[in-house]
Amino acid sequence: MLPVLRILLRRLGISAVVLVGVSMLIFAIARVIPGDPARIALGPSASAEQVTALRAEMHLDEPLVAQYGHFVSDVLRGDLGQSLYTNRPVTRDIAEFLPATLELVIFAGILMVALGLPLGILAARHRGRWPDHLIRVLTLLTVSAPSFVWAVILMLLFAFYLPLFPVAGRISDIYEIERITGFLTVDTLLAGNFAAFADALHHLVLPAVALALSGIGQAARLTRANMVETYQKPYIEMAQAYGFFPSRIARSYAFKPSLIPSLTIIGLDFAAMLGNAFLVEAVFAWPGLSRYGVNVILRKDLNAIMGTVLIIALTFLIVNIIVDLLIAFLNPRIRHSTRAAS
Amino acid sequence: MTTKRMLLAAALAAATSLTSPAFAQSVLRLDEVAVGELDPAKASDYADSILMFNVYDTLVLPRQGGPGHDPHLATAWEVDGSSYTFTLRDDVTFQSGNPLRAADVVYSLERMQAMGQGLSYLFSGVTAEAVSEHSVRFTLEEPYAPFVASLVRLPIVDQMLVEENATGDDPWAEAFLSANGAGTGAYMVSSHNPQSETVMAVNDGYFLPINDAAPDQVRLRYGLEAATVRTLLAQGEHDIASQWLPPEVIRALAADGAQLLTESGTGAFYVKLNTTRPPLDDVNCRRALSHAFDYGTAMQMIAITDEISQGSPATGAIPVGMFGANGPEMSLSRDMAAAEAAMEACPYAPEDWNLEITWIAEVPIEERFALLMQANFAELGISSSIETLPWALFTERVSTPENTPHISQIFVNAVTGDPDTLLYGMYHSSVPGTWQSPEYLDDAAVDAALEAGRVGATDAEREAAYGQLNARLMELAPTIYGFDRQSVFAASDRVRAPALSDPDMAFGLDGMGFSFRLMEMVE
Repeated sequence: MLPVLRILLRRLGISAVVLVGVSMLIFAIARVIPGDPARIALGPSASAEQVTALRAEMHLDEPLVAQYGHFVSDVLRGDLGQSLYTNRPVTRDIAEFLPATLELVIFAGILMVALGLPLGILAARHRGRWPDHLIRVLTLLTVSAPSFVWAVILMLLFAFYLPLFPVAGRISDIYEIERITGFLTVDTLLAGNFAAFADALHHLVLPAVALALSGIGQAARLTRANMVETYQKPYIEMAQAYGFFPSRIARSYAFKPSLIPSLTIIGLDFAAMLGNAFLVEAVFAWPGLSRYGVNVILRKDLNAIMGTVLIIALTFLIVNIIVDLLIAFLNPRIRHSTRAAS
Repeated sequence: MTTKRMLLAAALAAATSLTSPAFAQSVLRLDEVAVGELDPAKASDYADSILMFNVYDTLVLPRQGGPGHDPHLATAWEVDGSSYTFTLRDDVTFQSGNPLRAADVVYSLERMQAMGQGLSYLFSGVTAEAVSEHSVRFTLEEPYAPFVASLVRLPIVDQMLVEENATGDDPWAEAFLSANGAGTGAYMVSSHNPQSETVMAVNDGYFLPINDAAPDQVRLRYGLEAATVRTLLAQGEHDIASQWLPPEVIRALAADGAQLLTESGTGAFYVKLNTTRPPLDDVNCRRALSHAFDYGTAMQMIAITDEISQGSPATGAIPVGMFGANGPEMSLSRDMAAAEAAMEACPYAPEDWNLEITWIAEVPIEERFALLMQANFAELGISSSIETLPWALFTERVSTPENTPHISQIFVNAVTGDPDTLLYGMYHSSVPGTWQSPEYLDDAAVDAALEAGRVGATDAEREAAYGQLNARLMELAPTIYGFDRQSVFAASDRVRAPALSDPDMAFGLDGMGFSFRLMEMVE
């Protein structure tokens, strides 16, 4: 069996176990949050009989184990239940709101990689000189403030004082784009509407930058530190002694081994953004899954809580598998150790 | 098209899109904190009311600029004891094209009663029958003087359309009506996304003339942050902000040139004391808190400009202008001498108190009132802790007296404009614990006055009953009557809303000022 395939199968097995564990944990936690979901859903005017009936319908009057059994049975049939917050099937809500968050997070992830890694390399190559100092100060600034603070600052600077960017939603009201993938940047292109595509991109800029800034700083600082360490390795000194161009040394010999720890952090950051995006989504009125998740938790909407957490956990696991495979691809020692272990 | 050309086209479009898009039709954009509930049988809060009053119609409407009610879907009504017979207009069609019939009125009432949500409690003990195609008779089990007023909360749904969308599991088509409209209203639901907005378009087939300048489309947005609303208004991308913005944000918007719209007269800000938990189970202890509360500072906290405030001084349990209210000259003020005297009579030593003061997470101004109370009560030697409660959790906690906090802060309004719907749900001992009644008051004289207010045959009788109630509630001090509420909305100069700016056009009913058909968009 190919080493990469072996890694993939092992990771898939571990992920399945983690997913079951997460579902059990969240299932239990969601039920100990104070508040009766049936009462909250029906509102203060509902009678005790109505609340009791809804509790029975939701199986809340049964033991926790039996409730979990119902949940697993429904999930295996692809049914996550009805959301009490939106009065719609949870699967429909997730299908509608997940692409908005994924689009935002993917765009932020691209910014993180496209800006974080080059800044880290630049700082390492000019270690101890002004570009290094400048980048370290800037990245320290980005990692020291949370995303929602950046969201408000960016909004004030680039929407309020300098009205360059839109501040709410995913696209201007004048565009009506047929929903195909749910990713507006993709759907607008599929519709051949380039003005709408540009408008969707325009709406993405501020929230994506706000979400990415902290990750850009982390990626840059980590890449710099790894690059500096790599530059002190004997094989780099040998390359320098041979008179290789600095750009070739950086690209061919220093960057690849330095990338591995950065890649792990970027992968984790990317997945974490899915859950952390809610404040950015709230500030920019972005109708995504993170914001939905917070709203359903506040309303103790059990089905929607489970659905949201499972989807975020699943995405987290998928991203981790991809990162593991990339690292295995970049680092032959991991591939070989897997083969040796088997 | 090659990739390069596509990229070039996209870049050009991006550059051009930096300017605000022009609308071919007039669009009104406003926001509310809570998600609007489209199903009229579940409607209860402000956002729900805005949707209900525009997508649906009712048999009567509050009279603009004064007391009383005018026919709306009805042309007239007759009262015979506890029986009310309404004649319906014969020129009204639903948005589906179905004609309005008396059967629709009966169905709307029965649907609301069967679902038992929203404001259905207003119609318990009421039955309806279709006397003819365009005549409907309501019969009340017990006399209820403000019955006609309560009909502003009975939106009429299209029975045929609703039944077409009903299923065995969903006999009242709740899923359908949570995402679609089925009314006769001046605006039709185009789309409803609970996460972002409800979009409505003007109903060209409406049975009344609609102002030519009324918005063609309305976008009711949900859950916008204060900073977002301020930026949107500055960019010209928003028209009316919700009333829930902190006063300083409304003040800043006014300074930026926003006009201030107002709606008042049916509600108040109440600080509710749990009368079942020590030390607030003693009337003197409660009186001490009432006297110690700094009403003047509270008024300063809600002032927007020198002329406009989010409230006016309270004079008692009943807002000024309603039956039984004290005059504006009797405004409440802080009296530390009276507070200390009451503390002397209070059987609990102040050092043993640890009051739990809560505020609703969705209403930031309440945190400031909580801090104010903490400081005020500390002057009497009383310690307290402040706790934030999301609305959903608060409504759950108040369902039992032992879980209800010592002190809760609530804005309450008369959902029909009549004092009965403000006061009965708060103070009658038969009402179980709800968000309106965290006092858990149980007093025979209060119950008697509330019941007398319901059955009074004349306005004078009702006035007398509510006057007695007001006096008794001041004596018992189950609540600190903070201030009479006025909702203030910051708005762009693109919109004119007479019902929210001209007292002669005001409806005296929360949310009805947002009848979009009466608004004008100015380009």
